[in-house]
Amino acid sequence: MSPAVLARRLTKRYGALEAVRGIDFAIPPRTCFGFLGPNGAGKTTTMKMIYCRIARTSGDLLVLGMDAARSPKEIKRRIGVVVQETALDPELSVLENLVLYARFFGIGRADAERSARDLLGFISLDGKERSLIRNLSGGMKRRLMIARALVNDPEVLILDEPTTGLDPQARLLVWEKLDSLRSEGKTLVLTSHYMEEAARLCERLVIMDEGRIVTEGTPNELIAEHAAHDVLEVTGRDAAALESVALDGLIRRRERHGETLYLYNADNRSLLRRFSELGVEPERHVARQATLEDVFLNITGRELTE
Amino acid sequence: MRALQAFFSPNAWNVFRRNLLAWQKYAFSSLAINLMEPFAYFIALGFGLGAYLTLKGHGSLVQFMAPGFMGFTAMNTVTFDSSWGGYERLNFNGVYESMVTAPVQPEEIAAGEYLWEAFRAVMYGLLFLCVIALFGLVHSWLALLCPIALALTGIMYAIPALWVAMLVKTQEHLFYYFSFVVTPTTMIAGVFFPLDRMPRWLQDVAWFTPLYHAVNVFRALVLGTLNWNNAIDLAWMLASIAVLAMLPVRTLRRRLSN
Repeated sequence: MSPAVLARRLTKRYGALEAVRGIDFAIPPRTCFGFLGPNGAGKTTTMKMIYCRIARTSGDLLVLGMDAARSPKEIKRRIGVVVQETALDPELSVLENLVLYARFFGIGRADAERSARDLLGFISLDGKERSLIRNLSGGMKRRLMIARALVNDPEVLILDEPTTGLDPQARLLVWEKLDSLRSEGKTLVLTSHYMEEAARLCERLVIMDEGRIVTEGTPNELIAEHAAHDVLEVTGRDAAALESVALDGLIRRRERHGETLYLYNADNRSLLRRFSELGVEPERHVARQATLEDVFLNITGRELTE
Repeated sequence: MRALQAFFSPNAWNVFRRNLLAWQKYAFSSLAINLMEPFAYFIALGFGLGAYLTLKGHGSLVQFMAPGFMGFTAMNTVTFDSSWGGYERLNFNGVYESMVTAPVQPEEIAAGEYLWEAFRAVMYGLLFLCVIALFGLVHSWLALLCPIALALTGIMYAIPALWVAMLVKTQEHLFYYFSFVVTPTTMIAGVFFPLDRMPRWLQDVAWFTPLYHAVNVFRALVLGTLNWNNAIDLAWMLASIAVLAMLPVRTLRRRLSN
């Protein structure tokens, strides 16, 4: 199957600033594809080029087989977009927001109203038809943004940080809705800086940093490649002690950041057993599985880059 | 040409519909506020000041000002709504951004705004016409043609107001437009006093003022004195719309593409 979105050497420059620096990616249809990275990595700029809001500087970009520069109108008809900042019309009711948006796609009034009511059911906002936007919670607004992006039954749904700023319950509800959209066969393209979110939702993802794609793969591949199965975090005095102990064959890598020593290894329990045999068992430690967070931080650095 | 096409596109009418839906939620207060102020000035100046003077060659002051204030009312409501509202729709709530994320073109947004402001000018202007009719200041059935001239006035004033709204960096800067452009030109547009005793140069400046031509037409329709000079006024209005209509579109497209 041809990719839903295909980019080759895609570049966006704003004057002297190169926001996206020649990235390549192919998003397979009917999957959830994630763009991870810190703020300023170029994720939102990439999304804006995909949904034809801004023009690329150079490179190729095909969305559903169509050139983003040549066929923006046709592309917009077949995709849905949830932008980062809530952009609902505050002067219209919940239902009016959906119906009007559907009419922008040439959908007639009766059809627009019927599908708007269905969508309100889908995102669990039934009974809120006449509410004004300012009376909705943050999670409701975000779900309404998702519903609005679905009015034209898009093949590709682009979500720029769909859960940023939501509380855990609200985030969970958004995830459920995105799960069911994916199982309906829609292609989801999302950006996030939550590792948990990407691991939970995405089949494939890329990690971006400073306008480049630094790695790509499935969540598990990336963890295996860039972290390890387990991580032992050792803090305090033991960290300094363990930093110089020879641990060849026991760990894949060790990293010291501030007071914490990160030991990437295959199995925390056998590592700890070995430590107690060696008499170097650390007092203060956290034994956990490696996550995408570790991959992310390994690649983009643990220091604050802003 | 593209601007003209945009007026007939379904999405221009959807933008119009958006503004109508928003307006319906505060229709009463909007009508009350937008009509009360010109009405108060009209009564005070027309009957108050007018009690002490008549205008040589133009009859009573209140009769002179009645059609002028109709044009003033239409211009005022359109100018504020198009600029203040346009600024918010571009900068605060992502209303325009959402439109272009759907397949709506910037020229369709502008055309929809113009259509809405034309409608708004007709609504508010006609209500003012009813008021002056009640005072017995309407003397011709030609007044029934006022909606056409009101619609043109609406579009004519929506264009620069929307353009300024797309340009300014902060909303407060819109007051430069109100205070330095709209108010001074209104003073020499023949709303409050006739211009035939004014210096020649001031009359020339007035000729370049949109409201001057609109008020000429309103006065001719209300008094039944329509003549070929009014055809020039109408041509002036149509020409200014044709020349300037795309100006806000270019700025809007630029603002929405970064």
